[in-house]
Amino acid sequence: MNQKFNKLTVPDLISVGVFTALYFVLVTVATFACALLPGVGNILLPAVAALISGSVYMLLAAKLQKFGGITIMGLVMGLFFFVSGHFVLSFAANIICGVAADLVAAAGKYRSKKLLLASYVVFSYGLTGPILPLWFMKSAYIANLTARGKDAAYIDTLFAPINSGSFVVSILAILICALVGGFFGQKMLKKHFEKAGIVA
Amino acid sequence: MTFRMDPRAKLYLLLLANLMLLFHVGTGAEAAATALCLLLFFLSGKARAGVRLSVLYFGLLAVDLFVVPRVGESVLLNLLSLVSVGVRMMLPCIITGAYAFSTTTVGELTAALRRMHLPESIIIPCAVVVRFFPTVGEDYRHIRAAMALRGIAAGRGALLRHPVQSLEYILMPLLMNSNNVAQDLSAAALTKGIGLPGRHTCMTELRLTAWDFLYPALCTLPLLWKVVTLL
Repeated sequence: MNQKFNKLTVPDLISVGVFTALYFVLVTVATFACALLPGVGNILLPAVAALISGSVYMLLAAKLQKFGGITIMGLVMGLFFFVSGHFVLSFAANIICGVAADLVAAAGKYRSKKLLLASYVVFSYGLTGPILPLWFMKSAYIANLTARGKDAAYIDTLFAPINSGSFVVSILAILICALVGGFFGQKMLKKHFEKAGIVA
Repeated sequence: MTFRMDPRAKLYLLLLANLMLLFHVGTGAEAAATALCLLLFFLSGKARAGVRLSVLYFGLLAVDLFVVPRVGESVLLNLLSLVSVGVRMMLPCIITGAYAFSTTTVGELTAALRRMHLPESIIIPCAVVVRFFPTVGEDYRHIRAAMALRGIAAGRGALLRHPVQSLEYILMPLLMNSNNVAQDLSAAALTKGIGLPGRHTCMTELRLTAWDFLYPALCTLPLLWKVVTLL
């Protein structure tokens, strides 16, 4: 583990911190945007976040071109999700997706556009962490209702569409939005940063 | 005198709040632990945030206790009560998180993370993130002012009418500036010797006091009591 991290210099680490902060701000913006849609909003949170933060991710990947940066970004994101009161699970989801995304990007030596796009999709799944408790809490709520003597069949009809449907929709939405967001990010990078010579 | 808690004790409280959510402790135990966490806001001189969060939490608790049993069979009302109960169950975590966030300085955080023997490759980005949040807000205001000057996306709701354009016009200057700030920060940090090998010292001296053990222990009691009664 340390062997890989050692290749990152202090300026690299500071870049990771700066871009993670931007990414976190964008996720927060997405959270507020989603809060405007009552009920279903939260489920779409990772998708909206993936849609808008593609350029941050692409710029970081283009700037570092080293293994470890994306991993640390996932790790720090997880840590800040945890500290800002999100579920412990979001910590795990961010780390796992961060490492996986880093591996995918590394397979293309951080140059292959397609693999970078794929790696962004993988990274975006790390954002499911904050919304996972929705599914956990639903079971607690159902238990609550059952304990109060509500009819079990009635509860099932109430929650059946919310449960399986929303999960699939959420997962699919992340895939599509991450693809669109990542593509938009790459386009922006080319338009504004490659021409200016900031990244190769 | 305001009460200052060690960041490590705060991390423990966060873990505790998460465990309570995971194991579905009863409403009573949850309310007791949350009340203890809310008390921390008042002890640390953050009375306004404390009042606001208390009203929110106990308001939702009241909804759960008095309104939810009477919702009947209406699907819409059941959905609304699901949201209210869901938000309430998340609140202990969010309250502890807000407390940890609003009362910890960058220096304290770095010192605590060093004491926990985390590698520098994680500590440095963490410190940068905390330091960088206000900068993002400031930059955003400058960018919006510059946009307004040129008559781009002026007025309420204008950003939402051209979402792609807004995203490009706001995010690109932000990224450009972040890139520069990253370089400046690196230069500043390297000058101060952050890249040197060996143990780094901290300006902030952290000492675990008796309170850092007593208060978290007190907050653990509701969860513990629940576990004991379950066994």
